[in-house]
Amino acid sequence: MSVPLSQMWTVAAYVLKQKLSGRKRYPLVLMLEPLFRCNLTCAGCGKIQYPAQILKKHLTLEQCLKAVDECGAPVVSIPGGEPLMYPQIGELVDALVKRRKYVYLCTNALLLKEKLEQGVLRPSRYVSLSIHMDGLREDHDEAVCRDGVYDRAVEAIKEALRRGFRVTTNTTLFDGASPLRMRAFFDEMMGLGVEGMMLSPGYSYSKAPDQEHFLRRGRTHDLFSKMLSNARKHWKFNQSPLFLQFLMGKRDYECTPWGNPTFNLFGWQRPCYLLQEGFAESFQELMESTRWERYGRKSGNEKCQDCMVHCGYEATAVDDTFSSWKGFRDTLVASITGRL
Amino acid sequence: MTLQGWVPEIGEFLTLAEVIDLAFDYRGNTTVVRVDGTEIEGYVFNRNRDAPEPFIQIFDVAGNGPIRIPCSEIRNIRFTGRDMAAGNSWQAWLERREREKAEKAGPA
Ligand code: SF4
Ligand code: SF4
Repeated sequence: MSVPLSQMWTVAAYVLKQKLSGRKRYPLVLMLEPLFRCNLTCAGCGKIQYPAQILKKHLTLEQCLKAVDECGAPVVSIPGGEPLMYPQIGELVDALVKRRKYVYLCTNALLLKEKLEQGVLRPSRYVSLSIHMDGLREDHDEAVCRDGVYDRAVEAIKEALRRGFRVTTNTTLFDGASPLRMRAFFDEMMGLGVEGMMLSPGYSYSKAPDQEHFLRRGRTHDLFSKMLSNARKHWKFNQSPLFLQFLMGKRDYECTPWGNPTFNLFGWQRPCYLLQEGFAESFQELMESTRWERYGRKSGNEKCQDCMVHCGYEATAVDDTFSSWKGFRDTLVASITGRL
Repeated sequence: MTLQGWVPEIGEFLTLAEVIDLAFDYRGNTTVVRVDGTEIEGYVFNRNRDAPEPFIQIFDVAGNGPIRIPCSEIRNIRFTGRDMAAGNSWQAWLERREREKAEKAGPA
């Protein structure tokens, strides 16, 4: 696994502190969406289908930082929309680094080279540029519905690495993905020199135009088992090994929707990054007034039955690491040996 | 299937609460008709039935907001704006790409 030690230590200390203080529900990663606007229109994306007046808007820097402080999570992920289209992205990242938050800036990389050349972002051990890459050239361009995006992203990755940035990739897998091609993709990304890769099965956003290609549970297990069994030594994953084992069907977890709370133009999204069932005005209101028992597999909620996404389950896996010796040992073994 | 253009008829078979839910799920602007006859056009991004006084929240077409409207003040909601989630399927993109490739290759 490739999460840097300092980051692992920060997260471990935070989780242990929450546990010692008896806090039952705590956030791990804040999903901060400063805007919904994007320069791509991927068919699998349910984040960008809004009327013009909404797409034109964005959060103020103050709103972003207030959300970060209210939430208190040690990690802040900035998805979107396309965060590099946010006019104050440089100031936002700088302010997060000042607060010692670990930042994942999730970008499709179309604007990355230009922003790097303009000096908008500065390398830091707290900042990882998390590049959206859904597979090899043909697969990626197909997933993002535009030719040439893969090549632009690879060029930007090389430039970011040259400038000393931490670079990771984030990959969403849809039904029909080929395990063999994905293995070749992992080789290719590691060959570029990225720090690690993040994987998640496709989200079943009810508003995404492409509904047919979302992965159901059985297919997810099958695909991830074929992809990750006999993982090559040089593959590094920037996420919990227990979460990857869950995707392979080796573990059974329940969702932790409050683990990755989402804040955007509409407020604090209930109950998770994926479902939009309403919004709370404050983080406290979100935590206290959301009917959490209505979500997750056990609840019987139809929308949750096939969901295995990272924003619901990675926090569960991290919690498992620190809840039992077995979880801790399994994480350690997988991290050291690279075997999943 | 899209609700674009729909003017709900609230009555025995369709409640206002159901229309509010549909408007909340709709990815386009709607026109909220108040009990007093005034109208406001915008995007319904939130609704809360569990609040002591249930309400919806919208950003109007100019992007002003959030504007809170108690459900008790709503008479109806018309689905007047374009449904931004309709169309744009992956299949459509694949077909378009194949067509463009064939055009680039020229006649066989
Ligand atoms: S790049 Fe990301 S935010 Fe933009 S359309 Fe694609 S999935 Fe959505
Ligand atoms: S299982 Fe969790 S993350 Fe998935 S849709 Fe349900 S609440 Fe959201």
